[in-house]
Amino acid sequence: MHKIYIVEDDRSIRTELAELLNNAGYATEYMTDFSDTENTIINAEPDLVLLDINIPFVNGEMLLRNIRKKTDIPIIMVTSRTSETDEVLSMSYGADDYITKPYNPTILLLRISAVLKRTHKDIIKTSYRNLQVNSAKGSLSDGVTEIVLTKNEMIIFQLLLDRQGQIVSRNDLMTTLWDNEEYINDNALTVNISRLRTKLSDFGYENAIETRKKQGYILT
Amino acid sequence: MKFSKFLADKAVPIIISTVAWLIIWDFLSAFHIKAGQIFIIGFVYFLSGTINILWEYFRRYRFYTDITSDCDNLEKKYMLSSMVEVPDFYEGQIFFEILCETNKSMCDNVAEYRKSSEEFQEYIELWVHEIKLPVASLLLMCHNNPDTDGKYSEQLRRIDDCIENVMYYARSENVKKDYLIKDVSIKRTFSKIALKNREELQQRNVTIKTENLDIFVMTDSKWLEYIIGQIIANSMKYFSEERTPEISVYTTDSIEKTTLHIRDNGVGISASDLPYIFEKSYTGSNGRTHAKSTGMGLYIIKNLCDSLGHEVKAESVQGEFTDISISFGKNNFVKF
Repeated sequence: MHKIYIVEDDRSIRTELAELLNNAGYATEYMTDFSDTENTIINAEPDLVLLDINIPFVNGEMLLRNIRKKTDIPIIMVTSRTSETDEVLSMSYGADDYITKPYNPTILLLRISAVLKRTHKDIIKTSYRNLQVNSAKGSLSDGVTEIVLTKNEMIIFQLLLDRQGQIVSRNDLMTTLWDNEEYINDNALTVNISRLRTKLSDFGYENAIETRKKQGYILT
Repeated sequence: MKFSKFLADKAVPIIISTVAWLIIWDFLSAFHIKAGQIFIIGFVYFLSGTINILWEYFRRYRFYTDITSDCDNLEKKYMLSSMVEVPDFYEGQIFFEILCETNKSMCDNVAEYRKSSEEFQEYIELWVHEIKLPVASLLLMCHNNPDTDGKYSEQLRRIDDCIENVMYYARSENVKKDYLIKDVSIKRTFSKIALKNREELQQRNVTIKTENLDIFVMTDSKWLEYIIGQIIANSMKYFSEERTPEISVYTTDSIEKTTLHIRDNGVGISASDLPYIFEKSYTGSNGRTHAKSTGMGLYIIKNLCDSLGHEVKAESVQGEFTDISISFGKNNFVKF
């Protein structure tokens, strides 16, 4: 379980954020005393830091720069400042991503998991049961036959696989697809899922994707 | 400066001199001075008078012609006092001093307003950051309590849109331009906007078509995000009941510019409204018959585009489509 450290001085956002991350399967920790932010963060040894720019005592951008001198833990800047200058400055100081408030919680979770994947802290699953998943080629193979998935099907399958055993909502699937510049509608998602089911059953995995009514899908 | 008018202005001294000459003449005749001598005295008298008038005319002529032509040529006429040479005659100097003084007072006045407008913008920015905290907090609460999600977060997003409008209006109206021009991916920018508006686009069953978006332009990504977001929001306001709504986003490329088109198949804009849609507070017939309109959206877009040096244009056929295009210059000069 990855530990995410929240640096945020707004109490309400802090607790809601922690709840959101806990529900998504992350461990969280946050600070309430901002007198020595730098060491508190480093000593907590988190896998990822969510850092607000406007925090007491020290400017978030300076804090980011100081932390970067000592460690390269992934840091996502979270701020209500919507200015290009802030973003460019943060990125040049070594932030891994920059998100502006108020964020869509689904997108925030997406960004967090993307950063964790990129920094190799998250294991990318490349196999499902006895199938090899080749995301670059967009294909599934059991060593004998290889079936090519469309881009949309691959995105859907990868997300289900990453959260194998958990329910993935249609909302999450949609957000991920749209984040990958696939602007499909509700019907198209249903069609894509049923095609994906057909392809999986070609390998003998009938009912690999189960539908949970009003909740989403689950890859078993 | 016309000589005839100057002469007319000098009518009183000329009349006084002429009357004075008539009296002198009368006196000289009374003392039996010969006509020839009177003529010489008269000649010297009038010659000196004429020279006097001409000399005065030419001194003023130079100063006033300079000041008039400077004033005509200057784009910023308030710079006049620093363009004109100090005149070498007394009245001119008084006039010049007054000019400088009024100018300074005007500058002080302008500076004061500029400062207060800058302070106002700073306050708006600060206020926007503050108001975004409870909005962010509420959005998280909605997400954490799935029963309330959906309709509540939709309203919160509406609030957030209104906040953005205020902020960008303040930014677009202000002299202090806080943007940063760099290479921005249109594909990435549009994807952010689409993702942000996904729920509403899907509820309205909007088909999105994209083409040739894998291109970079020189702009400020945050401003561009807002601009495109506004255009999409406008499209969503004015979809036609008769067709499945569709928004297509594509770029065209020429040697000197890249143009981004956002085209919808909505109700369109009437030919009589089209020339005025970027004007402040202009609502047009669509604004009255369809969704409520403040007439500010496109005005702010135009303002932002002007500041960034982009050209924004609208094309439309009523009942068929609206195509808003933004042209980004390809001047290599701005690349480092």
